[in-house]
Amino acid sequence: MKIVVLLKAVPDTETRFKIREDETDVVYDDSIEWIASPYDEYGLEAGIQFKEKLDGTELTILTLGKGNESQVIRKALAMGADKASLINNEDLASSDPLGVAKVLAKELEELKPDLIIAGRLATDSSDSFVGPALAEIMKYSLVSEVSTIENFDESHLVVLRDATGRKEKFEVKLPALITTDKGLNEPRYPKLPDIMKAKRKPLDEKDLAELSAISGVANRKVKQVKVAFPPKKQGGEIFTGDLDEAVDKLVKALHDKEKVF
Amino acid sequence: MKIVIFLESYNGKLVKAAKEAISVADKIDSGAEKIGVLLGTDLDSIANDLKNYGLKEVYKGEGGEYATYHSSIYAKAIKSVDADYYVIPGTVWGREIGPRLTVMLDSSFAGDVTEVLDSTKFVRSIHGNKVLSTVEVSGQTVVTVRPGVFDLPSETPSEYELKTLEGHKEDHDENVSLVEVLAAESGKIELTEADIIVSGGRGVKGPENFHLIEELAGLLGAAVGASRAVVDAGWRPHSEQVGQTGKFVSPKLYMAVGISGAIQHLAGMSTSDIIVAINKDEEAPIFKVSDYGIVGDLFVVVPKLMEKIKEVKNQ
Ligand SMILES: Cc1cc2nc3c(=O)[nH]c(=O)nc-3n(C[C@H](O)[C@H](O)[C@H](O)COP(=O)(O)OP(=O)(O)OC[C@H]3O[C@@H](n4cnc5c(N)ncnc54)[C@H](O)[C@@H]3O)c2cc1C
Ligand SMILES: Nc1ncnc2c1ncn2[C@@H]1O[C@H](COP(=O)(O)O)[C@@H](O)[C@H]1O
Repeated sequence: MKIVVLLKAVPDTETRFKIREDETDVVYDDSIEWIASPYDEYGLEAGIQFKEKLDGTELTILTLGKGNESQVIRKALAMGADKASLINNEDLASSDPLGVAKVLAKELEELKPDLIIAGRLATDSSDSFVGPALAEIMKYSLVSEVSTIENFDESHLVVLRDATGRKEKFEVKLPALITTDKGLNEPRYPKLPDIMKAKRKPLDEKDLAELSAISGVANRKVKQVKVAFPPKKQGGEIFTGDLDEAVDKLVKALHDKEKVF
Repeated sequence: MKIVIFLESYNGKLVKAAKEAISVADKIDSGAEKIGVLLGTDLDSIANDLKNYGLKEVYKGEGGEYATYHSSIYAKAIKSVDADYYVIPGTVWGREIGPRLTVMLDSSFAGDVTEVLDSTKFVRSIHGNKVLSTVEVSGQTVVTVRPGVFDLPSETPSEYELKTLEGHKEDHDENVSLVEVLAAESGKIELTEADIIVSGGRGVKGPENFHLIEELAGLLGAAVGASRAVVDAGWRPHSEQVGQTGKFVSPKLYMAVGISGAIQHLAGMSTSDIIVAINKDEEAPIFKVSDYGIVGDLFVVVPKLMEKIKEVKNQ
């Protein structure tokens, strides 16, 4: 069976951003450390676990990127993916969400996987778009935000997800696309020998520039026109010292002023 | 202008996020024709409920192909009603339906929006709520709405025309099916719908002490949340985690008890209206985003706090 895990490189979650002078984006400079989007790591780990259980499974990583991805891909190969496919094209990678999905679909149509695993959201752009959109484009069955894989074999999966407090259980036949939620698994750390071995695993890099010129796959309908920092909280009241007094003040504020209870 | 709203419901009730979606439609264009799409089973009582929101038409697809949720069939049903905008609650269903619709329509998409500036500009947060991004859309547009952010629509009695959506037997799809729904614990308030959340962190020191958080939450009619540290330690379920890799919440009041306020935790709750922190470390970063805070041992503060709240409530 063929599995493709979608992997997006995103700025480390600790990154403190600066805003560009024209205010249309944040600054992406050398100070930023690129990591695999955390939900994609759950997807990768899930893919590796499928591979460990089902002989003959081939696990490919697919990334559409701007040139910051090589380390992230090497780490994923060291964790256990067999090979990687990188579309390295800044222009395509900066398409709007539908454009990104269309470009990835082009490549997936070539790879023809039985199972596609994407993240529930990319922690940078936070669109929660690409997974379900790909399922629609490729006519694959979809279950998103999977937090438990109860059962799987070469032809089907039984999965659970959180849905506003309740849990939904789906049975899905392959070919299918699932997106991952937290709780699915604990991504492993690559071991040193695997890191060495990963250097010899195939990384197929292409830029698809021709493709974008010919077929206009990239979309530009949605434009980011401004970015800003969220408004800062002004002068919080922090009570120190006598705790009885502090509790009195807090309850008074919440009750009399804020009227929350 | 025509705006279609997906009126998501569950167990014969409109979900709160669907009402918030109606508010968003009003913000996009207060003069637009608002058209609801209602899908599922037991929809009669909802159809009645809907007479308060200035809807012009409601398309109802009941039973048959629509009886249980199916992302593709639901998206097709919504798409069958022609409109300029499609406003979808950003729930787990909406997060499947919105992207599917966008592909079907080859339209613009604005996901997880938190503010409407005008009919073409939407604000959403990126990089784990650290940055606000304004996007400009063009042409037909699908919008998903972050739950818990927008006010409920104002209610004035109004009449609408009820129309029926016919199911299409050929859409029946056995390749993916919702086979079971495990109900939420009764009486438990869902994090993303709660007005008040009380969250506990590593400072609570062990699962055996979480009754303190639960009792305080109970007293306030609040949902219980948690930091990742306590979820990873297995003290609380994953479904309670707030933050970048947990839930994004935006309640009226968020209380962080024994939580340091790591950037990934702040990502999930910093948009709350009022933030209160209880932490023994004066330097804890959580205080920087707090409206109120108490520096002290939570094992002393929380019991005192409960006593005082009871006192005030009984007055
Ligand atoms: C990729 C990534 C994603 C992440 N996603 C999330 C996420 O979604 N959500 C999340 O929460 N974290 C997330 N984290 C983890 C985050 O970085 C922190 O490790 C975590 O939030 C810390 O949890 P905590 O505040 O409970 O624990 P700590 O940081 O250990 O803080 C405990 C606090 O309790 C206080 N305390 C101790 N004893 C007492 C007492 N008796 N009375 C009062 N106060 C006391 C301490 O002063 C301290 O401030 C993520 C990390 C990474 C790398
Ligand atoms: N440029 C990309 N390359 C590879 N996968 C991507 C890319 N963008 C998004 N994805 C996948 O789609 C998921 C959701 O992304 P988003 O819709 O942007 O929130 C991510 O977690 C990835 O699995």
